[in-house]
Amino acid sequence: MKLLSPRRPTDPYLLLLPTLLILGCFFFYPLLAAGKLSLYSWDLLTPPRFVGLDNYRALWSEGLLLHSLELTLVFSLGVVTASTILGLALALLLNRPGRLAAFARASIFSAYIVSWVSVALLWLWILDADGGALNAALQRLGLPGWRWLSDPRLALPSLAAVTVWKLAGYAMILYLAGLQDVPAHLLEAAALDGAGRWQRFRHVTWPLLRPTTAFVTSTGAIASFQVFDVVRVMTQGGPMDHTNVLVYAIYEQIFLNLRVGRASALVVVFFLVLLGLTLWQLRLWLRREGAEGQSPPA
Amino acid sequence: MRLPRRALLQGAAALGLGCRPRAAPPGRQLVRLWYTYGGKNRLVLEQLVAGFNAAQAEHWVQPVFQGDYYEGLAKLRTALAAGAAPALSHVVGEVIPYLAEAGVLEPLATRPGVDQLDLLPALGQAGTWRGGGQRPLVCLPFNRSTPIAFYDADVFEREGIAPPESWQALLEAARWLSTTDASGARRYGFACPIDWWFWAALVGQAGGELIEADGRISLGGVAGIKALELWQRMVNEDRSMKPPPGRDYNAWEATNQDFLAGRSVMIWTSTAFVRYLEDNARFNVRAAKLPGFVRRAVPTGGTHWILLRAAPEPEKAGAWQFLRYLHEPAQVARWATSTGYIPTTQSAVRRLTEAGHYAEHPNDAVALAQLDVAQPWPWSPRLFQLQREIIQPRLEAAVLGRQSPRAVMQDAVRLAQREP
Amino acid sequence: MPLRWPRRLGLVGLALPWLLPYAWMVSTSFKTLPELVAAPSAPLPSGLNLDAYAAVFEAMPVGAYLLNTTLMALAIGLLQLALALPAGYALSKLSFRGRGLAFGLVVATLLIPAQVRFVPVFTLLAEVRLTNTMTALVLPFAVSALGTFLIRQALLSVPPQLIEAARLDGAGELTIIYRLLPPLLRPSLVAAFLFSFVYHWNDYFWPLVMTTDDSVRTLPLGVALLREQGTGVRWHIVMAGNVLLSLPALLLFALTQRQLIHAAAGKAAGR
Repeated sequence: MKLLSPRRPTDPYLLLLPTLLILGCFFFYPLLAAGKLSLYSWDLLTPPRFVGLDNYRALWSEGLLLHSLELTLVFSLGVVTASTILGLALALLLNRPGRLAAFARASIFSAYIVSWVSVALLWLWILDADGGALNAALQRLGLPGWRWLSDPRLALPSLAAVTVWKLAGYAMILYLAGLQDVPAHLLEAAALDGAGRWQRFRHVTWPLLRPTTAFVTSTGAIASFQVFDVVRVMTQGGPMDHTNVLVYAIYEQIFLNLRVGRASALVVVFFLVLLGLTLWQLRLWLRREGAEGQSPPA
Repeated sequence: MRLPRRALLQGAAALGLGCRPRAAPPGRQLVRLWYTYGGKNRLVLEQLVAGFNAAQAEHWVQPVFQGDYYEGLAKLRTALAAGAAPALSHVVGEVIPYLAEAGVLEPLATRPGVDQLDLLPALGQAGTWRGGGQRPLVCLPFNRSTPIAFYDADVFEREGIAPPESWQALLEAARWLSTTDASGARRYGFACPIDWWFWAALVGQAGGELIEADGRISLGGVAGIKALELWQRMVNEDRSMKPPPGRDYNAWEATNQDFLAGRSVMIWTSTAFVRYLEDNARFNVRAAKLPGFVRRAVPTGGTHWILLRAAPEPEKAGAWQFLRYLHEPAQVARWATSTGYIPTTQSAVRRLTEAGHYAEHPNDAVALAQLDVAQPWPWSPRLFQLQREIIQPRLEAAVLGRQSPRAVMQDAVRLAQREP
Repeated sequence: MPLRWPRRLGLVGLALPWLLPYAWMVSTSFKTLPELVAAPSAPLPSGLNLDAYAAVFEAMPVGAYLLNTTLMALAIGLLQLALALPAGYALSKLSFRGRGLAFGLVVATLLIPAQVRFVPVFTLLAEVRLTNTMTALVLPFAVSALGTFLIRQALLSVPPQLIEAARLDGAGELTIIYRLLPPLLRPSLVAAFLFSFVYHWNDYFWPLVMTTDDSVRTLPLGVALLREQGTGVRWHIVMAGNVLLSLPALLLFALTQRQLIHAAAGKAAGR
């Protein structure tokens, strides 16, 4: 990658200034504020009281910290894995010309366009244990219905399924684009060599899709880590705290428990975990960028 | 490339557009009212506001939605911190002691006409909190309710059952009414949100107090355990109570829905839903008082009006005028009859009685009569915290997770007494 | 080669899990409350009953909310492009000390959702009396980490010779950034804009916490209002609101489908 020297040495900084100013005011300042507030007990009304590391200690001893973190990681892992596999499968099946295939692609991708609140309300209604369409359909087939959102074992998987429903179309589109870049002559050559369908996919297509996979999984991870609207609308963290993921826990501490300090401590932990994950991800991207000397996955 | 320049222009235009807050008509004092309702309640409130704005030419009340109860409360606090609070809002009773102790509520005792408000004692500050009458007045009741039982009168009649008067009768009736049909679908005798409010009702019925007279937090002591045991038994052993899904209002909605669809024959819910249930049931809906254990008791619930001390005096004065208007019998009666909440003044009750309302709507009469056994809440700034952090999260765990009620409550009390 | 019927059915079958929920949403919105209570899971309404839609229009100023939402999303999308272009240019084309750090700072913000930073931002904006304005809705999102990142990636494939040639022709940096580059980056710009537009059009949380005044409220807030707390589910009205909320987004999608899909695809390929 060749870099130009700026005309004036200050140019790059001036060009970045508006961006950094905005980020400073609306991203980094709030984070620093959270770092400071995490050492205080504050209800937004009465003056903040310095408590040292009490907030962290309380989160730790009540188990909320580890519990939320674990739920978030499990949720994220499930959503990323399922939406990546589903997106890839759909892309392979729908990677063909014709109006019908285009219609199917558009229908599946459209879920990505509709708002999280809409999707959550819609599925809240569909998954309703008693009046909902899903259980009604199951019963018509002679199968038992499930308490999708109120059974502690099912609630998180149900939310994950809804999230996958929304994100799979996006993964599919990314993979469809990736598939366009798989040179036909390579596949033909492999076919001539007697490679079967699976072998061609395994040894030609899949390796060439690796940059796409990296992008699909990392954007999926970011989206699923920040999951909020579906939890807020569908389960409010329940049943029995089984869907109390990090961002919802933060919201709950501020809005319902009036504990800005504890929420801030959660923010700090949340950010550190995410930062670690991103740095790791970023290193993978940049390493490839350096190695191939051209555009990285994104 | 033209895009960015046009972009900047349009962006600037858009930025400018929102900068002008909507103002009151000339010559009128703007009174900002923050409310937290959706649906029907919101429509009725807006009609009342329109009525006030039309009835006088001095003030202009501007109602603004702020999310649900808790979102509204959080915004109120952020706005107070930022010096942008409105003059008037309404908040759930559980947080009023906390707001009052934090010094953000305007005392109301010296406002003109405060003596003429003939509030029902159980619903005003005096009856809502223990010793509330001795404290400076900081709130007026708005949408007020109590837990109540609704039952399918047709089924009750067919089965020859009367509404249960005691816990024992409740257990028996719920068991008797629970059936499983050929397809495996279960009809439950009883349903009730696993919620703090109904737990508090059970604690009261079992003779307990959340905070003892000496200020010690006991969470009902044995009564708190008895309450959990009753639910556990009905849900897990007798399978006569349907545990509704979700927390907070999701559970309430599901409970109502189960009742309307015939999946449960008797429910505990809020008196506020009387009209909704009557209008949408395909059977006879009858209301009954909650049963007793060692005594009859129900808590009160809903929200109270508050004036925010930080608002400018002219706006607060306007807000007070609006509150006086709201407390005229016509408005109280209108609010109560179109929403289902209990009327808050004696004059409104008289007016409704004379108009034959209670003869026509016997279920409303049950709700009103049950106020005789309404229990006051303890006046504690930590009340909402006991609710949100100590009790509510443990109820689900105890009832659905089948934990020992004794252990759960001991843990709760220990945490409540330790925590500042 | 025309597809045989089983194949065709297979293609539609793949899309069914996405189509049926929409159908269910529309179907529910035409029902009445008594219908819903009597048979909540009946597949079709008894007729095209528009009561629920009437209730939505009665409950909120749909037009005003629609306008607010559109203006807000438009302003955010365009502002993001205007700021991401120079930033992406500096990060991908110029050599200077701290480039890696600046890039890292931008990418780090990808991870910070609005729910974790609204309290300090609200107090900050309140101090300068900006809550309740379009500014409070737009300015905090003027920089999109993803948009900046995408534009930087796209710029990597622009040959530096092109820029050197423009410089030799006497073009200033701003001319290069706002005139020379955009046509070359069109797919990425369209992608960044459309995704930002859709995201903010749909946003519920930020408008809720940043506004205390109806005049700057947005449509998702209005739809959330349709849920009446506790009373009982009025699904027909909620679904009618949902239809109204998703229709513009889906319409935009239908109109820009090609660009959007192409754009999303371009994103993955880094072009």
